[in-house]
Amino acid sequence: MKNNKIIQRIFWIFLLALLWQILFWSGRFSTLVFPSLLEIGRTLIQALISGELRQQLMFSLSIILQGILLSLFLALFLSLIAQFSRIGASLLDTLLAISHPLPGIALMPLVLIWIGIGKEAILFIIIHSVLWPLVLNLRTGFSSIPAIYTLVGKNYGLKNLSLFFQIMVPASLPYLLAGLKIGWARAWRALISAEMLFGAINSIGGLGWYIFQKRVFFDLPGVFAGIILIIIIGVLVEDFIFSKIEKHTVIKWGIKL
Amino acid sequence: MIKMKKPIFFLLIIVISIIMFSACAREEDNTITIAEQYGLAYAPVQIMKDKKILEENLVGMKIRWKRLANTAAIREAVLAGEVDIGFMAIPPFLIGKDKGMDWKIISGLSMSPLGLMTYKEDLKSLADIGKNDRIALPQPGSVQHILLAMAAKREFGDTGRFDDQLVTMAHPDGMNALLSRKEITAHFTSPPYLFKESEEEGIQQIISGEEALGGEFSFIVGVCTEDFYYKYPETYKVFLQSLGQVIEYINQNTDEAATILGESYALSVTETKKYINWPGMRYTMEIRGLDEFISFMQEANYINFENIELADILWEVGLYEKQ
Repeated sequence: MKNNKIIQRIFWIFLLALLWQILFWSGRFSTLVFPSLLEIGRTLIQALISGELRQQLMFSLSIILQGILLSLFLALFLSLIAQFSRIGASLLDTLLAISHPLPGIALMPLVLIWIGIGKEAILFIIIHSVLWPLVLNLRTGFSSIPAIYTLVGKNYGLKNLSLFFQIMVPASLPYLLAGLKIGWARAWRALISAEMLFGAINSIGGLGWYIFQKRVFFDLPGVFAGIILIIIIGVLVEDFIFSKIEKHTVIKWGIKL
Repeated sequence: MIKMKKPIFFLLIIVISIIMFSACAREEDNTITIAEQYGLAYAPVQIMKDKKILEENLVGMKIRWKRLANTAAIREAVLAGEVDIGFMAIPPFLIGKDKGMDWKIISGLSMSPLGLMTYKEDLKSLADIGKNDRIALPQPGSVQHILLAMAAKREFGDTGRFDDQLVTMAHPDGMNALLSRKEITAHFTSPPYLFKESEEEGIQQIISGEEALGGEFSFIVGVCTEDFYYKYPETYKVFLQSLGQVIEYINQNTDEAATILGESYALSVTETKKYINWPGMRYTMEIRGLDEFISFMQEANYINFENIELADILWEVGLYEKQ
Protein backbone atom coordinates (compact mmCIF):
# COMPACT_ATOMS: atom_id res chain seq x y z
CA MET A 1 0.00 0.00 0.00
CA LYS A 2 2.62 2.47 1.06
CA ASN A 3 5.15 1.34 -1.53
CA ASN A 4 2.51 1.71 -4.13
CA LYS A 5 1.98 5.31 -3.18
CA ILE A 6 5.66 6.13 -3.41
CA ILE A 7 5.96 4.42 -6.77
CA GLN A 8 3.01 6.39 -8.06
CA ARG A 9 4.55 9.64 -6.80
CA ILE A 10 7.84 8.91 -8.49
CA PHE A 11 6.09 7.84 -11.64
CA TRP A 12 4.09 11.05 -11.94
CA ILE A 13 7.03 13.24 -11.06
CA PHE A 14 9.13 11.50 -13.67
CA LEU A 15 6.40 11.99 -16.24
CA LEU A 16 6.04 15.67 -15.43
CA ALA A 17 9.79 16.14 -15.64
CA LEU A 18 9.79 14.39 -18.98
CA LEU A 19 7.01 16.67 -20.18
CA TRP A 20 9.07 19.68 -19.12
CA GLN A 21 12.14 18.44 -20.94
CA ILE A 22 10.18 17.61 -24.09
CA LEU A 23 8.78 21.14 -24.13
CA PHE A 24 12.31 22.44 -23.68
CA TRP A 25 13.64 20.31 -26.52
CA SER A 26 10.75 21.30 -28.77
CA GLY A 27 12.36 24.75 -28.87
CA ARG A 28 8.96 26.46 -28.79
CA PHE A 29 10.00 28.71 -25.93
CA SER A 30 13.09 30.83 -25.53
CA THR A 31 15.56 29.18 -23.18
CA LEU A 32 15.50 32.43 -21.23
CA VAL A 33 11.89 31.77 -20.29
CA PHE A 34 12.03 28.02 -20.15
CA PRO A 35 15.37 26.66 -18.98
CA SER A 36 16.36 23.03 -19.33
CA LEU A 37 15.71 20.75 -16.41
CA LEU A 38 19.35 19.69 -16.42
CA GLU A 39 20.43 23.30 -16.06
CA ILE A 40 17.98 23.76 -13.18
CA GLY A 41 19.22 20.60 -11.52
CA ARG A 42 22.82 21.69 -11.85
CA THR A 43 22.05 25.11 -10.35
CA LEU A 44 20.20 23.49 -7.47
CA ILE A 45 22.99 21.07 -6.68
CA GLN A 46 25.65 23.76 -6.96
CA ALA A 47 23.73 26.06 -4.64
CA LEU A 48 23.25 23.24 -2.14
CA ILE A 49 26.90 22.25 -2.23
CA SER A 50 28.21 25.79 -1.90
CA GLY A 51 26.21 25.98 1.32
CA GLU A 52 24.48 29.22 0.43
CA LEU A 53 21.12 27.61 -0.13
CA ARG A 54 21.55 25.18 2.76
CA GLN A 55 21.97 28.01 5.21
CA GLN A 56 18.99 29.86 3.82
CA LEU A 57 16.91 26.72 3.93
CA MET A 58 17.80 26.04 7.55
CA PHE A 59 16.97 29.62 8.40
CA SER A 60 13.55 29.35 6.77
CA LEU A 61 12.77 25.99 8.33
CA SER A 62 13.82 27.05 11.81
CA ILE A 63 11.53 30.10 11.68
CA ILE A 64 8.64 27.95 10.47
CA LEU A 65 9.19 25.41 13.19
CA GLN A 66 9.25 28.11 15.86
CA GLY A 67 6.15 29.68 14.37
CA ILE A 68 4.22 26.43 14.28
CA LEU A 69 5.19 25.43 17.83
CA LEU A 70 4.26 28.82 19.23
CA SER A 71 0.98 28.75 17.33
CA LEU A 72 0.22 25.29 18.62
CA PHE A 73 0.67 26.39 22.24
CA LEU A 74 -1.33 29.52 21.67
CA ALA A 75 -4.09 27.62 19.90
CA LEU A 76 -4.36 25.05 22.69
CA PHE A 77 -4.36 27.79 25.28
CA LEU A 78 -7.06 29.84 23.52
CA SER A 79 -9.26 26.81 22.90
CA LEU A 80 -8.83 25.74 26.49
CA ILE A 81 -10.06 29.11 27.68
CA ALA A 82 -12.91 29.07 25.21
CA GLN A 83 -13.88 25.58 26.35
CA PHE A 84 -14.35 26.60 29.93
CA SER A 85 -15.55 30.16 29.66
CA ARG A 86 -18.51 31.47 27.72
CA ILE A 87 -17.10 34.96 27.44
CA GLY A 88 -13.82 33.54 26.25
CA ALA A 89 -15.59 31.48 23.63
CA SER A 90 -17.57 34.38 22.24
CA LEU A 91 -14.48 36.58 22.18
CA LEU A 92 -12.47 33.88 20.42
CA ASP A 93 -15.19 33.33 17.85
CA THR A 94 -15.23 37.02 17.06
CA LEU A 95 -11.44 37.16 16.82
CA LEU A 96 -11.56 34.16 14.54
CA ALA A 97 -14.14 35.74 12.28
CA ILE A 98 -12.02 38.88 12.03
CA SER A 99 -8.61 37.34 11.62
CA HIS A 100 -9.03 34.04 9.85
CA PRO A 101 -9.82 35.45 6.40
CA LEU A 102 -7.20 38.19 6.70
CA PRO A 103 -4.12 37.39 4.58
CA GLY A 104 -0.86 37.90 6.43
CA ILE A 105 0.56 39.85 3.53
CA ALA A 106 -2.17 42.45 3.94
CA LEU A 107 -0.85 43.09 7.44
CA MET A 108 2.67 43.61 6.16
CA PRO A 109 2.65 47.42 6.09
CA LEU A 110 1.45 47.47 9.71
CA VAL A 111 3.97 44.87 10.78
CA LEU A 112 6.73 46.98 9.25
CA ILE A 113 5.73 49.92 11.40
CA TRP A 114 4.87 48.09 14.61
CA ILE A 115 7.39 45.29 14.77
CA GLY A 116 10.01 46.40 12.28
CA ILE A 117 11.79 44.24 9.79
CA GLY A 118 13.53 41.65 11.93
CA LYS A 119 12.96 37.97 12.34
CA GLU A 120 10.13 38.78 14.77
CA ALA A 121 8.15 40.31 11.92
CA ILE A 122 8.31 37.11 9.90
CA LEU A 123 7.47 35.10 12.98
CA PHE A 124 4.44 37.28 13.56
CA ILE A 125 3.18 36.74 10.02
CA ILE A 126 3.68 32.99 10.34
CA ILE A 127 1.86 32.80 13.64
CA HIS A 128 -0.98 34.79 12.16
CA SER A 129 -1.21 32.33 9.28
CA VAL A 130 -1.05 29.21 11.41
CA LEU A 131 -2.93 30.14 14.56
CA TRP A 132 -6.40 30.76 13.16
CA PRO A 133 -6.82 27.60 11.10
CA LEU A 134 -5.54 25.67 14.10
CA VAL A 135 -7.98 27.28 16.49
CA LEU A 136 -10.80 26.85 14.04
CA ASN A 137 -10.07 23.16 13.60
CA LEU A 138 -9.62 22.58 17.31
CA ARG A 139 -12.98 24.19 18.05
CA THR A 140 -14.67 22.09 15.36
CA GLY A 141 -12.91 19.04 16.70
CA PHE A 142 -14.07 19.68 20.26
CA SER A 143 -17.64 20.21 19.26
CA SER A 144 -17.71 16.99 17.29
CA ILE A 145 -16.48 14.80 20.14
CA PRO A 146 -19.23 12.28 20.95
CA ALA A 147 -20.73 13.16 24.31
CA ILE A 148 -20.03 9.64 25.51
CA TYR A 149 -16.27 10.24 25.47
CA THR A 150 -16.48 13.18 27.82
CA LEU A 151 -19.04 11.41 29.95
CA VAL A 152 -16.74 8.43 30.30
CA GLY A 153 -13.92 10.78 31.19
CA LYS A 154 -16.06 12.43 33.83
CA ASN A 155 -17.00 9.03 35.17
CA TYR A 156 -13.33 8.37 35.70
CA GLY A 157 -13.24 11.54 37.71
CA LEU A 158 -11.33 13.63 35.15
CA LYS A 159 -11.87 17.34 35.53
CA ASN A 160 -11.13 20.49 33.58
CA LEU A 161 -7.45 20.27 32.63
CA SER A 162 -7.09 16.53 32.76
CA LEU A 163 -10.33 16.12 30.82
CA PHE A 164 -9.06 18.58 28.27
CA PHE A 165 -5.70 16.95 27.70
CA GLN A 166 -6.61 13.30 28.20
CA ILE A 167 -9.93 13.14 26.43
CA MET A 168 -10.66 16.20 24.34
CA VAL A 169 -7.31 16.77 22.68
CA PRO A 170 -6.74 13.13 21.66
CA ALA A 171 -10.34 12.73 20.57
CA SER A 172 -10.11 15.74 18.30
CA LEU A 173 -6.63 14.88 17.04
CA PRO A 174 -7.75 14.29 13.45
CA TYR A 175 -9.00 17.86 13.38
CA LEU A 176 -5.85 19.15 15.03
CA LEU A 177 -3.72 17.34 12.47
CA ALA A 178 -5.82 18.67 9.61
CA GLY A 179 -5.37 22.14 11.11
CA LEU A 180 -1.64 21.62 11.36
CA LYS A 181 -1.49 20.56 7.73
CA ILE A 182 -3.33 23.68 6.64
CA GLY A 183 -1.20 25.71 9.02
CA TRP A 184 2.01 24.27 7.65
CA ALA A 185 1.01 25.06 4.07
CA ARG A 186 -0.05 28.57 5.01
CA ALA A 187 3.10 29.13 7.04
CA TRP A 188 5.25 28.12 4.08
CA ARG A 189 3.42 30.57 1.84
CA ALA A 190 3.54 33.36 4.37
CA LEU A 191 7.22 32.79 5.00
CA ILE A 192 8.22 32.84 1.35
CA SER A 193 6.21 35.99 0.65
CA ALA A 194 7.49 37.70 3.76
CA GLU A 195 11.08 36.89 2.94
CA MET A 196 10.63 38.17 -0.57
CA LEU A 197 9.30 41.41 0.85
CA PHE A 198 11.67 41.94 3.74
CA GLY A 199 14.90 40.88 2.15
CA ALA A 200 17.86 39.48 3.98
CA ILE A 201 17.51 39.51 7.71
CA ASN A 202 20.48 38.56 9.86
CA SER A 203 22.49 38.61 6.65
CA ILE A 204 21.29 35.16 5.65
CA GLY A 205 17.79 35.61 4.35
CA GLY A 206 15.71 32.57 3.63
CA LEU A 207 14.49 30.58 0.70
CA GLY A 208 12.16 33.38 -0.39
CA TRP A 209 15.05 35.79 -0.41
CA TYR A 210 17.09 33.32 -2.45
CA ILE A 211 14.38 33.18 -5.10
CA PHE A 212 13.94 36.94 -5.08
CA GLN A 213 17.66 37.50 -5.51
CA LYS A 214 17.79 35.09 -8.42
CA ARG A 215 14.83 36.88 -9.94
CA VAL A 216 16.31 40.37 -9.79
CA PHE A 217 19.55 39.16 -11.26
CA PHE A 218 17.55 37.38 -13.89
CA ASP A 219 18.84 33.93 -13.14
CA LEU A 220 15.84 31.81 -14.10
CA PRO A 221 17.41 28.39 -13.43
CA GLY A 222 18.14 29.73 -9.93
CA VAL A 223 14.50 30.76 -9.49
CA PHE A 224 13.38 27.29 -10.51
CA ALA A 225 15.95 25.69 -8.24
CA GLY A 226 14.40 27.56 -5.30
CA ILE A 227 10.89 26.59 -6.32
CA ILE A 228 11.84 22.94 -6.73
CA LEU A 229 13.39 22.92 -3.29
CA ILE A 230 10.14 24.28 -1.87
CA ILE A 231 8.21 21.52 -3.64
CA ILE A 232 10.57 18.82 -2.41
CA ILE A 233 10.24 19.98 1.17
CA GLY A 234 6.47 20.24 0.86
CA VAL A 235 6.23 16.69 -0.41
CA LEU A 236 8.66 15.35 2.18
CA VAL A 237 6.79 16.94 5.07
CA GLU A 238 3.44 15.70 3.77
CA ASP A 239 4.56 12.19 2.84
CA PHE A 240 6.89 11.50 5.73
CA ILE A 241 6.25 13.66 8.75
CA PHE A 242 2.48 14.02 8.63
CA SER A 243 1.76 10.53 7.39
CA LYS A 244 4.09 9.11 10.09
CA ILE A 245 2.26 11.03 12.79
CA GLU A 246 -1.08 9.92 11.42
CA LYS A 247 0.00 6.31 11.20
CA HIS A 248 1.03 6.23 14.84
CA THR A 249 -1.98 8.06 16.14
CA VAL A 250 -5.26 8.54 14.36
CA ILE A 251 -4.93 5.61 11.99
CA LYS A 252 -3.86 3.32 14.80
CA TRP A 253 -6.77 4.51 16.93
CA GLY A 254 -9.16 4.16 14.03
CA ILE A 255 -10.42 7.72 14.14
CA LYS A 256 -8.94 9.12 10.94
CA LEU A 257 -11.40 11.38 9.21
CA MET B 1 -1.13 0.03 -9.75
CA ILE B 2 -2.43 2.26 -12.50
CA LYS B 3 -2.05 1.16 -16.07
CA MET B 4 0.87 2.86 -17.75
CA LYS B 5 -0.76 3.54 -21.08
CA LYS B 6 -3.30 6.01 -19.87
CA PRO B 7 -0.84 8.45 -18.30
CA ILE B 8 1.25 8.54 -21.44
CA PHE B 9 -1.79 9.33 -23.50
CA PHE B 10 -2.67 11.99 -20.96
CA LEU B 11 0.83 13.46 -21.23
CA LEU B 12 0.57 13.60 -25.00
CA ILE B 13 -2.63 15.60 -24.78
CA ILE B 14 -0.98 18.07 -22.42
CA VAL B 15 2.04 18.53 -24.69
CA ILE B 16 -0.11 19.11 -27.73
CA SER B 17 -2.43 21.54 -26.00
CA ILE B 18 0.43 23.57 -24.53
CA ILE B 19 2.07 23.88 -27.92
CA MET B 20 -1.22 24.87 -29.51
CA PHE B 21 -2.05 27.43 -26.89
CA SER B 22 1.36 28.98 -27.00
CA ALA B 23 0.82 29.50 -30.71
CA CYS B 24 -2.46 31.32 -30.04
CA ALA B 25 -1.07 33.59 -27.39
CA ARG B 26 0.91 35.82 -29.74
CA GLU B 27 0.34 39.54 -29.39
CA GLU B 28 -1.99 41.42 -31.66
CA ASP B 29 -0.54 43.25 -34.60
CA ASN B 30 -0.29 47.01 -34.76
CA THR B 31 -0.29 47.45 -31.03
CA ILE B 32 2.64 48.75 -29.08
CA THR B 33 2.85 48.33 -25.38
CA ILE B 34 4.97 50.67 -23.33
CA ALA B 35 5.91 50.01 -19.73
CA GLU B 36 7.13 52.51 -17.16
CA GLN B 37 7.31 52.92 -13.42
CA TYR B 38 6.23 55.58 -10.98
CA GLY B 39 8.51 58.53 -10.35
CA LEU B 40 9.42 62.02 -11.51
CA ALA B 41 12.19 60.62 -13.70
CA TYR B 42 9.47 59.18 -15.95
CA ALA B 43 7.78 62.55 -16.39
CA PRO B 44 8.19 62.72 -20.20
CA VAL B 45 6.48 59.34 -20.54
CA GLN B 46 3.64 60.57 -18.36
CA ILE B 47 3.21 63.68 -20.50
CA MET B 48 3.32 61.57 -23.63
CA LYS B 49 0.55 59.47 -22.21
CA ASP B 50 -1.60 62.33 -20.90
CA LYS B 51 -1.31 64.50 -23.99
CA LYS B 52 -1.84 61.51 -26.27
CA ILE B 53 1.17 62.48 -28.32
CA LEU B 54 1.87 59.01 -29.64
CA GLU B 55 -1.75 58.48 -30.57
CA GLU B 56 -1.54 61.67 -32.65
CA ASN B 57 1.77 60.84 -34.28
CA LEU B 58 1.11 57.19 -34.87
CA VAL B 59 -2.17 56.96 -36.70
CA GLY B 60 -3.40 53.41 -37.05
CA MET B 61 -1.39 52.03 -34.15
CA LYS B 62 -2.96 51.05 -30.89
CA ILE B 63 -0.97 52.17 -27.88
CA ARG B 64 -1.16 50.46 -24.53
CA TRP B 65 0.46 51.75 -21.36
CA LYS B 66 1.52 49.73 -18.38
CA ARG B 67 2.85 50.94 -15.10
CA LEU B 68 4.75 48.14 -13.39
CA ALA B 69 6.00 48.05 -9.83
CA ASN B 70 9.68 47.38 -10.48
CA THR B 71 12.27 46.80 -13.14
CA ALA B 72 12.28 43.04 -12.75
CA ALA B 73 8.60 43.05 -13.66
CA ILE B 74 9.26 45.16 -16.76
CA ARG B 75 12.05 42.83 -17.80
CA GLU B 76 9.83 39.79 -17.37
CA ALA B 77 7.01 41.44 -19.30
CA VAL B 78 9.37 42.24 -22.18
CA LEU B 79 10.57 38.67 -22.17
CA ALA B 80 7.02 37.35 -22.22
CA GLY B 81 6.38 39.47 -25.31
CA GLU B 82 3.88 41.62 -23.42
CA VAL B 83 5.86 44.83 -23.62
CA ASP B 84 7.67 46.35 -26.59
CA ILE B 85 9.21 49.44 -25.07
CA GLY B 86 10.26 49.73 -21.45
CA PHE B 87 11.76 52.45 -19.32
CA MET B 88 14.29 51.56 -16.65
CA ALA B 89 17.72 52.33 -15.25
CA ILE B 90 20.90 51.19 -16.97
CA PRO B 91 22.03 48.37 -14.60
CA PRO B 92 18.85 46.25 -14.85
CA PHE B 93 18.99 46.70 -18.61
CA LEU B 94 22.57 45.43 -18.64
CA ILE B 95 21.74 42.43 -16.47
CA GLY B 96 19.02 41.41 -18.93
CA LYS B 97 21.32 42.00 -21.88
CA ASP B 98 24.01 39.90 -20.27
CA LYS B 99 21.59 37.01 -19.80
CA GLY B 100 20.81 37.06 -23.49
CA MET B 101 17.84 39.38 -23.94
CA ASP B 102 17.77 40.90 -27.42
CA TRP B 103 17.21 44.48 -26.54
CA LYS B 104 18.99 47.81 -26.86
CA ILE B 105 18.69 51.31 -25.51
CA ILE B 106 16.66 53.69 -27.64
CA SER B 107 17.39 56.92 -25.86
CA GLY B 108 18.02 58.57 -22.55
CA LEU B 109 14.99 59.90 -20.69
CA SER B 110 16.26 61.65 -17.60
CA MET B 111 19.18 62.34 -15.33
CA SER B 112 18.26 62.73 -11.75
CA PRO B 113 19.70 63.20 -8.31
CA LEU B 114 19.74 59.99 -6.33
CA GLY B 115 20.92 59.73 -2.79
CA LEU B 116 21.50 57.63 0.27
CA MET B 117 19.55 59.34 3.05
CA THR B 118 19.71 58.79 6.79
CA TYR B 119 18.08 60.08 9.95
CA LYS B 120 21.06 59.31 12.14
CA GLU B 121 23.14 62.38 12.84
CA ASP B 122 26.37 60.44 13.28
CA LEU B 123 26.21 58.85 9.83
CA LYS B 124 28.23 61.43 7.94
CA SER B 125 29.91 59.11 5.46
CA LEU B 126 29.78 55.52 4.30
CA ALA B 127 32.50 54.62 6.79
CA ASP B 128 30.13 55.51 9.65
CA ILE B 129 27.59 52.90 8.59
CA GLY B 130 27.87 50.12 11.13
CA LYS B 131 26.96 46.46 10.89
CA ASN B 132 23.66 47.06 12.63
CA ASP B 133 22.45 49.71 10.25
CA ARG B 134 19.92 48.65 7.69
CA ILE B 135 19.79 50.15 4.22
CA ALA B 136 16.53 50.10 2.27
CA LEU B 137 16.60 50.13 -1.51
CA PRO B 138 14.30 48.83 -4.26
CA GLN B 139 16.14 45.56 -4.94
CA PRO B 140 19.55 44.04 -5.49
CA GLY B 141 20.71 44.75 -9.01
CA SER B 142 18.80 48.03 -9.12
CA VAL B 143 20.63 51.22 -9.99
CA GLN B 144 20.53 52.20 -6.32
CA HIS B 145 22.19 48.95 -5.31
CA ILE B 146 24.85 49.20 -8.04
CA LEU B 147 25.62 52.80 -7.06
CA LEU B 148 26.02 51.77 -3.44
CA ALA B 149 28.32 48.94 -4.50
CA MET B 150 30.32 51.39 -6.64
CA ALA B 151 30.77 53.72 -3.70
CA ALA B 152 31.72 50.81 -1.43
CA LYS B 153 34.31 49.71 -3.94
CA ARG B 154 35.79 53.18 -4.25
CA GLU B 155 36.01 53.82 -0.54
CA PHE B 156 36.74 50.38 0.86
CA GLY B 157 37.70 48.27 -2.15
CA ASP B 158 34.86 45.94 -1.21
CA THR B 159 31.87 45.82 -3.56
CA GLY B 160 29.72 43.71 -1.29
CA ARG B 161 30.45 45.59 1.93
CA PHE B 162 26.81 46.52 2.53
CA ASP B 163 25.13 43.56 0.84
CA ASP B 164 24.30 41.87 4.12
CA GLN B 165 22.51 44.96 5.36
CA LEU B 166 20.13 45.55 2.50
CA VAL B 167 16.41 45.49 2.88
CA THR B 168 14.34 45.34 -0.27
CA MET B 169 11.61 47.94 -0.19
CA ALA B 170 9.69 49.87 -2.79
CA HIS B 171 10.45 53.61 -2.58
CA PRO B 172 7.31 54.64 -0.67
CA ASP B 173 7.75 51.85 1.91
CA GLY B 174 11.41 52.72 2.25
CA MET B 175 10.53 56.34 2.87
CA ASN B 176 7.95 55.47 5.53
CA ALA B 177 10.40 53.13 7.19
CA LEU B 178 13.13 55.78 7.23
CA LEU B 179 10.83 58.48 8.53
CA SER B 180 9.61 56.22 11.33
CA ARG B 181 13.25 56.35 12.46
CA LYS B 182 13.66 52.73 13.53
CA GLU B 183 15.77 49.91 12.10
CA ILE B 184 15.96 51.29 8.58
CA THR B 185 18.70 53.80 9.18
CA ALA B 186 19.39 54.65 5.56
CA HIS B 187 17.43 54.68 2.32
CA PHE B 188 18.87 54.86 -1.20
CA THR B 189 16.15 56.53 -3.21
CA SER B 190 15.11 58.69 -6.12
CA PRO B 191 12.69 61.62 -6.64
CA PRO B 192 10.09 62.48 -5.52
CA TYR B 193 10.92 60.43 -2.40
CA LEU B 194 14.45 61.78 -2.29
CA PHE B 195 13.15 65.35 -2.31
CA LYS B 196 10.45 64.66 0.25
CA GLU B 197 12.96 63.05 2.58
CA SER B 198 15.47 65.83 2.17
CA GLU B 199 12.79 68.32 3.23
CA GLU B 200 12.18 66.47 6.47
CA GLU B 201 13.77 67.77 9.64
CA GLY B 202 16.94 65.89 10.54
CA ILE B 203 17.22 63.78 7.41
CA GLN B 204 20.54 64.17 5.69
CA GLN B 205 22.31 62.76 2.66
CA ILE B 206 25.29 60.44 3.13
CA ILE B 207 26.26 60.19 -0.52
CA SER B 208 24.70 61.21 -3.81
CA GLY B 209 24.38 59.09 -6.92
CA GLU B 210 26.85 61.26 -8.79
CA GLU B 211 29.43 60.94 -6.05
CA ALA B 212 28.94 57.20 -6.06
CA LEU B 213 29.49 56.85 -9.79
CA GLY B 214 31.99 59.65 -10.11
CA GLY B 215 30.09 61.69 -12.67
CA GLU B 216 26.80 62.33 -14.37
CA PHE B 217 24.74 59.41 -15.55
CA SER B 218 21.41 58.69 -17.17
CA PHE B 219 18.99 57.51 -14.53
CA ILE B 220 16.25 56.24 -16.81
CA VAL B 221 16.60 55.12 -20.40
CA GLY B 222 14.12 53.77 -22.94
CA VAL B 223 14.72 50.27 -24.21
CA CYS B 224 13.13 48.19 -26.95
CA THR B 225 13.47 44.69 -28.31
CA GLU B 226 15.03 43.72 -31.63
CA ASP B 227 11.71 42.18 -32.57
CA PHE B 228 9.99 45.51 -32.28
CA TYR B 229 12.79 47.46 -33.94
CA TYR B 230 12.82 45.31 -37.05
CA LYS B 231 9.11 44.65 -37.22
CA TYR B 232 8.02 48.28 -36.93
CA PRO B 233 10.89 50.46 -38.15
CA GLU B 234 8.59 53.38 -38.95
CA THR B 235 6.88 53.24 -35.60
CA TYR B 236 10.24 53.15 -33.92
CA LYS B 237 11.31 56.34 -35.70
CA VAL B 238 8.11 58.14 -34.82
CA PHE B 239 8.44 57.02 -31.22
CA LEU B 240 11.95 58.41 -31.02
CA GLN B 241 10.79 61.71 -32.49
CA SER B 242 7.83 61.91 -30.14
CA LEU B 243 10.10 61.30 -27.19
CA GLY B 244 12.25 64.22 -28.32
CA GLN B 245 9.12 66.29 -28.72
CA VAL B 246 7.86 65.72 -25.15
CA ILE B 247 11.27 66.25 -23.63
CA GLU B 248 11.53 69.58 -25.42
CA TYR B 249 8.01 70.41 -24.28
CA ILE B 250 8.83 69.78 -20.62
CA ASN B 251 12.00 71.81 -20.81
CA GLN B 252 10.27 74.76 -22.47
CA ASN B 253 6.88 74.75 -20.78
CA THR B 254 7.84 73.64 -17.31
CA ASP B 255 4.84 75.29 -15.66
CA GLU B 256 2.30 73.71 -17.94
CA ALA B 257 4.05 70.36 -17.66
CA ALA B 258 4.00 70.65 -13.87
CA THR B 259 0.22 71.10 -13.92
CA ILE B 260 -0.26 67.95 -15.99
CA LEU B 261 2.22 65.94 -13.94
CA GLY B 262 0.87 67.12 -10.60
CA GLU B 263 -2.52 65.70 -11.49
CA SER B 264 -1.17 62.34 -12.59
CA TYR B 265 1.23 61.97 -9.69
CA ALA B 266 -1.17 63.32 -7.04
CA LEU B 267 1.27 66.07 -6.06
CA SER B 268 0.41 69.75 -5.76
CA VAL B 269 1.43 71.91 -8.71
CA THR B 270 3.86 73.98 -6.64
CA GLU B 271 5.49 70.82 -5.34
CA THR B 272 5.77 69.37 -8.81
CA LYS B 273 7.23 72.60 -10.16
CA LYS B 274 9.79 72.68 -7.41
CA TYR B 275 10.66 69.04 -7.94
CA ILE B 276 11.13 69.11 -11.71
CA ASN B 277 13.26 72.23 -11.39
CA TRP B 278 15.39 70.68 -8.64
CA PRO B 279 19.11 71.03 -9.33
CA GLY B 280 20.30 67.92 -11.14
CA MET B 281 16.86 66.96 -12.45
CA ARG B 282 17.28 66.96 -16.22
CA TYR B 283 15.19 65.57 -19.01
CA THR B 284 17.35 64.77 -22.00
CA MET B 285 17.78 62.15 -24.68
CA GLU B 286 21.52 62.10 -24.16
CA ILE B 287 22.87 58.99 -22.56
CA ARG B 288 25.60 59.26 -19.95
CA GLY B 289 27.45 56.94 -17.65
CA LEU B 290 27.14 53.80 -19.74
CA ASP B 291 30.87 53.03 -19.71
CA GLU B 292 31.12 53.51 -15.98
CA PHE B 293 28.24 51.11 -15.30
CA ILE B 294 29.51 48.51 -17.75
CA SER B 295 33.09 48.44 -16.54
CA PHE B 296 32.12 48.37 -12.88
CA MET B 297 29.49 45.66 -13.35
CA GLN B 298 31.98 43.56 -15.32
CA GLU B 299 34.62 43.88 -12.66
CA ALA B 300 32.20 43.05 -9.89
CA ASN B 301 30.83 40.08 -11.84
CA TYR B 302 27.29 41.36 -12.08
CA ILE B 303 27.60 40.88 -15.82
CA ASN B 304 29.93 38.65 -17.77
CA PHE B 305 30.01 39.81 -21.36
CA GLU B 306 33.29 41.07 -22.70
CA ASN B 307 34.31 43.35 -25.55
CA ILE B 308 30.81 44.53 -26.10
CA GLU B 309 30.43 47.14 -28.82
CA LEU B 310 28.38 50.25 -28.24
CA ALA B 311 26.32 49.27 -31.27
CA ASP B 312 25.26 46.10 -29.43
CA ILE B 313 23.80 48.17 -26.66
CA LEU B 314 22.47 51.28 -28.32
CA TRP B 315 20.15 51.72 -31.28
CA GLU B 316 21.24 55.35 -31.56
CA VAL B 317 24.96 55.40 -30.90
CA GLY B 318 24.98 59.15 -31.54
CA LEU B 319 23.05 59.82 -28.32
CA TYR B 320 25.88 58.57 -26.12
CA GLU B 321 28.68 60.81 -25.02
CA LYS B 322 31.67 59.43 -23.16
CA GLN B 323 32.76 61.50 -20.22
